[in-house]
Amino acid sequence: MLWFSRARQQHKVIHRLANSELFCNLTQRELKIVDAFLHERQFLAGEVVFDAGEEGQALYIIVSGKVAICLPGQHETPLIELKAGDFFGELGLLDDWPRSAQTRASAPTELVVLFRGDFERLMESQARVASKIAMQLARHLGQRLRQMLAQSADGAAIQ
Amino acid sequence: MNFSNVEYRSGPVVWAAVIGGTCLILFLFQKILWLVVPFVLALIIYYMLLPLKLRLVLGGMSHDSAAGWVSGGAFAVLVLIIGLGFPKFLSEAVTWQASALRYLNGGIHFMTVTIAQLEQRFEMLAQAHASAEVARQIAEFSAHFAEKYVPAIAVTLAAWSPTLLLAPFLAFFMLRDGWRFRKFLARAVPNAYFESSLVLMSQVDQTARLYFIGLIELTLLDTLCLAGGLWLIGVSGALLLGLLTAVLAWVPYIGSILGCLLVVLVAATDFPGDPGVAYAAIALFVLVRLLDDFFFMPLTIGKSLNMHPLLTVLMIFVGGAVAGVPGLMLVLPVLGVAMVLGETIGMLVTDPRLRARHVHERALQQQLVTRDLTLP
Repeated sequence: MLWFSRARQQHKVIHRLANSELFCNLTQRELKIVDAFLHERQFLAGEVVFDAGEEGQALYIIVSGKVAICLPGQHETPLIELKAGDFFGELGLLDDWPRSAQTRASAPTELVVLFRGDFERLMESQARVASKIAMQLARHLGQRLRQMLAQSADGAAIQ
Repeated sequence: MNFSNVEYRSGPVVWAAVIGGTCLILFLFQKILWLVVPFVLALIIYYMLLPLKLRLVLGGMSHDSAAGWVSGGAFAVLVLIIGLGFPKFLSEAVTWQASALRYLNGGIHFMTVTIAQLEQRFEMLAQAHASAEVARQIAEFSAHFAEKYVPAIAVTLAAWSPTLLLAPFLAFFMLRDGWRFRKFLARAVPNAYFESSLVLMSQVDQTARLYFIGLIELTLLDTLCLAGGLWLIGVSGALLLGLLTAVLAWVPYIGSILGCLLVVLVAATDFPGDPGVAYAAIALFVLVRLLDDFFFMPLTIGKSLNMHPLLTVLMIFVGGAVAGVPGLMLVLPVLGVAMVLGETIGMLVTDPRLRARHVHERALQQQLVTRDLTLP
């Protein structure tokens, strides 16, 4: 009975992970592998997930709820709001650079967390899964870069 | 903006707590040694089998099945080794007593010859009748050895055997449920401290893993060097002797002395008329110890314990004083883990921003659960 409920819970989590931007290219078996390395966390509305300047050690994927990315002290005017399926803190997975912004849950939120050490272990021993995740990360960062370039071009045009 | 402007550096309070904590843990370990020894053995087995299990998990197998297959495989290999080696072991066991006596007599002969030679050179030793005195003490010791020590050794072995059988069981459950336990521990941590606690758990795991894997690597290197050297000198059973001596070196200082004695006994017995071989074995042993301390240790165990050499030596003495031989063996891994724990907890406790975030989280929870409880 316990095994059945555990398996059902795992199936639910895996189903939700499959809908996330980061893991959308993974097969069911690959998702099962990744699931063993993930931690689930729940945040209340208004709760800080991480602060700007903190050393980033993990990547967060939104399972449900909403998360606001904001500059410190300006949480009422967030830079961007992320929804279920999105992910953030990806740079924490890549280097020791401090977090560039503050992140807060703007509604009751459920997150799954991939710790850098676990991601590195995944890279070492399961290159196929890790390369799919890394490819999605690269796409995401490229998209961000294009957005920033477009914004700065707009700003230059206005000036 | 970084809310914690001052970079954390552990101070004397944290260091005092780390050293005090290490001593306390060793003292408590001594009281439950029957559990600690199988636990340490289980940790060694766990870290040896973990890469295999992870490979199976990453190959698509569930954690439970992977742990089962790896443990079953290891058990099968063990049974195979025992099955193949047991008949030989039994046939040789009959001759053990005779061999032990032969080596003991060889050692005694070497010692008396050496002292006699020294007496010829140094008048002072001759006047003190050193060789006669040593011969008398050895004869007294060996005459009462069996009745004094053999029953105690037999009882100790009999008492420890069932406890040691715990090790494979513990290792199996570590392999099967270790990741669940890690997740379970992480769930208990408040959100504010979550990332730091993941780092802490990872560092503790890494320290212990590197220490025990390093210990195995160090043992292999020591075995190869000693066995190679003894084989070149011409001593019999070089590989077995090298392995025994390398395993004895797990106990700092005392283990090394016992290992050296063992090597000298065998060398002196194999070449009774040629003390030069025994001296060469001693020189080889000292050379391997030096290699061990200056090259092998930093390459293996040293990677896991980033601590000052003076502190290492002092803590080995403190460990021995607090908890005897188990203290000598366990002091370094315990100190390594205590250092990681102490520094991380010190950093978490002294970070005002993390504390404030935790208070904020609790206030939000309080607000949520008391929302409809206002008095009319």
